[in-house]
Amino acid sequence: MAQEFPLPDVGEGLTEAEIVSWKVKPGDTVTVNQVLVEIETAKSLVELPSPFAGTVTELLFEEGATVEVGAPIIRVDSSGGTIELQAPRGGDTVGEVGDTKASAPAPAEESSGAVLVGYGSSGHGATRRRRRPGAVATTAEGATADGAKASARRPVATGSAMPIIAKPPIRKLAKDLDVDLAGVTGTGVGGEITREDVVRGASQATVFRNLETPAWPEEREERIPVKGVRKAIATAMVQSAFTAPHVSVFTDVNATRTMEFTRRLKDSAQFAGIRVSPLLVMAKAVIWAVQRNPTVNSTWTDAEIIVHHYVNLGIAAATPRGLIVPNIKDAQNLSLRELAMALEQLTVTARDGKTTPADMSQGTITITNLGSFGMDTGTPILNPGEVGIVALGAIKQKPWVVDGEVRPAYVTTVSAAFDHRIVDGDVASRFTADLASVIEEPALLLD
Amino acid sequence: MSYTEATIQLLSPEGSLVESDVTAPYLEKITALSDAQLRDFHRHMVVTRRFDIEAGNLQRQGQLALWIPSLGQEAAQVGSAYAARAQDHIFPAYREHAVGRVRGLDPMRIIELLRGLSHGGWNPADTGNFHLYTLVIGSQALHATGYAMGLTLDEATGTGDPGSDAAVVAYFGDGATSQGDVSEALVFAASYQAPILFFLQNNHWAISVPVERQSRTPLYLRGTGFGIPSVQIDGNDVLASYAVSATFLDEARGGGGPRFIEALTYRMGAHTTSDDPTKYREKEDERFWAERDPIARFESFLRAKGEGDAFFAEVSAEAEDLAADVRTRTLALGLPSTEKMFAVYSDPHPLMDEQRAWLAAYESSLDEVTE
Amino acid sequence: MTTESMTMTKALNEGLRAALAANDRVLLMGEDIGTLGGVFRVTEGLKTEFGENRVLDTPLAESGIVGTAIGLAMRGFRPVCEIQFDGFIYPGFDQITSQLAKLTARNEGNQRFPVVIRVPYGGHIGAVEHHQESPEAYFAHTAGLRVVSPATPHDAYWMIQQAIAGDDPVLFFEPKSRYWPKGDVDRSASDTPLHASRVVRTGTDATLVGHGAMVATLLQAAEIAAEEGTSLEVVDLRSLSPIDYAPILASVQKTGRLVVAQEAPGHVSVGSEIAATIAERAFYSLQAPVLRVSGFDTPFPPAKLESAYLPDADRVLEAVDRALAY
Repeated sequence: MAQEFPLPDVGEGLTEAEIVSWKVKPGDTVTVNQVLVEIETAKSLVELPSPFAGTVTELLFEEGATVEVGAPIIRVDSSGGTIELQAPRGGDTVGEVGDTKASAPAPAEESSGAVLVGYGSSGHGATRRRRRPGAVATTAEGATADGAKASARRPVATGSAMPIIAKPPIRKLAKDLDVDLAGVTGTGVGGEITREDVVRGASQATVFRNLETPAWPEEREERIPVKGVRKAIATAMVQSAFTAPHVSVFTDVNATRTMEFTRRLKDSAQFAGIRVSPLLVMAKAVIWAVQRNPTVNSTWTDAEIIVHHYVNLGIAAATPRGLIVPNIKDAQNLSLRELAMALEQLTVTARDGKTTPADMSQGTITITNLGSFGMDTGTPILNPGEVGIVALGAIKQKPWVVDGEVRPAYVTTVSAAFDHRIVDGDVASRFTADLASVIEEPALLLD
Repeated sequence: MSYTEATIQLLSPEGSLVESDVTAPYLEKITALSDAQLRDFHRHMVVTRRFDIEAGNLQRQGQLALWIPSLGQEAAQVGSAYAARAQDHIFPAYREHAVGRVRGLDPMRIIELLRGLSHGGWNPADTGNFHLYTLVIGSQALHATGYAMGLTLDEATGTGDPGSDAAVVAYFGDGATSQGDVSEALVFAASYQAPILFFLQNNHWAISVPVERQSRTPLYLRGTGFGIPSVQIDGNDVLASYAVSATFLDEARGGGGPRFIEALTYRMGAHTTSDDPTKYREKEDERFWAERDPIARFESFLRAKGEGDAFFAEVSAEAEDLAADVRTRTLALGLPSTEKMFAVYSDPHPLMDEQRAWLAAYESSLDEVTE
Repeated sequence: MTTESMTMTKALNEGLRAALAANDRVLLMGEDIGTLGGVFRVTEGLKTEFGENRVLDTPLAESGIVGTAIGLAMRGFRPVCEIQFDGFIYPGFDQITSQLAKLTARNEGNQRFPVVIRVPYGGHIGAVEHHQESPEAYFAHTAGLRVVSPATPHDAYWMIQQAIAGDDPVLFFEPKSRYWPKGDVDRSASDTPLHASRVVRTGTDATLVGHGAMVATLLQAAEIAAEEGTSLEVVDLRSLSPIDYAPILASVQKTGRLVVAQEAPGHVSVGSEIAATIAERAFYSLQAPVLRVSGFDTPFPPAKLESAYLPDADRVLEAVDRALAY
């Protein structure tokens, strides 16, 4: 029975040795422990005794050859039965550090996987054990404490034992977008809140910040057919812009008291669970200002100007399909609270794409909330059939002169555009000044 | 080489007894031995040496990661081991294969240790109180001393009945005498008058460092320095090793406190199979000690007493049988269970449970290792 | 109820007394522990009561103390060693880590090594070099050892007895700055397993974890925070190896924020291990990264600088503020 003697590791971690001199030749009879060969390792000269008794059939390396540990060096035809020899461990799958034959150049920044000179590579084509089919990857040391992935969970309000399942980057996104994770349904594995879940849960306006820069498309151009909502919007814009001569006025105002007022409303029991924002204050301001400057709330026909004694307050809403302007019917009859709820309802409906044509018709005056896009001001185009449109800008901390000193204050720009056929500069200014005075002092609404 | 005028020798290298005032009391112990016991000395030394050589071959054949030869130190070990009584406790270093044999250790336990299947694992209660090998140099000297202190606290020693009074033997080498732990052991043993025999095998080498680097004074004087009665013996003389050890152990177990023996011997082989003595020692050195070989001189002694070829052939055959048996059993050894890895604590431990379970789950999730 | 107010040294003394009385294989050994009763008087009166064969004054040799304790354990004794000060444990380090920690595994079930090593540790006592260290991490990192540290006299009384009663080696770290303040000790029954961690103050905004003397600092920080309107939960770790994570995880699930505090230097510390484990196991519960408050990565400074070095309530609250800012 032919047996092979693999080169052993004789010195605790050696990887190779040189054959110095053979003490036997093919055809010789050898006994167990008879010296076969003298080898030289990094540490010393060593004689190797035969593990077998039998006849030498082949010397597998010449004198002077360097052999790796584990490689068979001699074949013996064994007379007395086979002996199982375990191949020595070590040196058979991982190469030496500094194996310059196989080392890659210094890792270039572009090519990934390049290894720094001197670290070598595994040399023998390192492999990993395959996962058995159907095997489940082990969790780190047993189940995680919050058992996050084990079952789908609905996140609940903080304070309870069930955690909101969201990774740190998603939590940060939620914070940046002012989204309360407790109110978001997670659609990821096990109820995990994904990026899309957060974005969907964000307020309609905050959605429209660019979160990513897309790659340049490969095609030179993209052609979008003009139809549906886009066509309707275009028609309306053209009609407005080239029928009604637009005039705009702007004024900056200290909105600190509006911010405080809004905060106090939020904290009050009356408004618990209702979305309260400066837009609500502006909406009320528009209604009040219309009461004081009725002609801005009218419609031009070639024959007559129809002044409306009701306010169907339009709120410009950006939706994925385009700009729409649903309006709150008879907003002048609503209490502050009712107005807040109507605003919220209008927003949700628009975001869900459920706004009806009836919702969008019969508007008398419109507010566009450019501030939710972070813009300070703008020059909006009138909603067709209307005579005035108010733009509420972003409310930001800016330097403001208070009692002769420059101090930081919440400042915003109130702007409005009008149809100059009906509204002259003085009405335009008075109306806009009225809006600004409410923003500056919401208590005026108690009038 | 390190022989001094104080070196106690009962058997010359030529194999004849040395009679003097110094050796007289010890020779009494020798004459009290039976022929069978003397033959046992020889048997133990020869079989151990043959085992040792076979284990070295197995290492060169890739069957053991390491072998630690005891070649040349058989007399120091067999004599002292034979002198210890059944109730005594033995604390070896890691080269005391002959002592293990005398106390009843199956040589396969040492093979398994050096093949990487265990860190020792045998039960001293089953092996003549031969404790596990300790690989950190000198550490066992403190364990041995603590054990001896325990004997005193238990009143299991010093009662005047040598048949039941127990003592401890601590083995260590010349290199170990430089380690702080050995000095601390001597401090504690002397302070508490513990019933312990410190048996130093000065085999003249700590890997490649000669004993002259360890000490500028004969090593047995170290014991004296701590207030412990100490002698130096010819460690290649199994009779001296036996007689002096027996005397000292009985003094220790009788309440006389610790004792110290420096046995001059020589590490005929390498430190381990990873070592190459040709790099640091001279052939003359090895020749000097080969002429003082413990087995050769004892064979001369026995032949002079009338033992014939038949006895020596029989011992040789027994040695061959044991070597073959060790070879067969070594080649048949399997792998340890990973369970052993987590058997770290005596009491239940949550992290062990966790990691054991993790490994089991991990293994079952992957294909078997194919080689 | 058998509750009595006493110092931690007295509690330890009583606990050792109870252990010596309960099992005559228990013996104490260390420098100056017998006649003098120990430099902190923890073993006061025990030699008189139990005799010099149960309470041993040893030579001045830490390796010798631990090494002979191992031999005594092999003989069937249950040695309780005292290392006189934290900074002097290092001469015994080899016997503790190379031998004591490994002997149970090496002996494959044939022998037990019920050796307890008591070590006064930690700062706040204005002492000289080597007398105010916190070397717990070396031993918590060593497989085969158990490492615990009581924060109160009550825990000291019970934990020392539990450590002695167990069959494994235990490093028993006694916060010496807590030796003399008094606390209630209930001697009627042990209510807590040796290795359990425990919530000692409930809160909602963040979790604080610490051991030994740090627990008092954490409680102080929590009190200050409460006046500022922040509600902090404090967990006493009690055991550094193994660590009982369950109460910490439950707390973090509730508060979402964790601050770990320790006197020891922070680099590669017990606090680092806790931070990594909580980040792994409570990932979805965390509102903020786990923060660590530790001693600086320097040798323990001269005593006049220890108040700058050691984490106090302000340092803890600074970390709390950072955690709450996320």
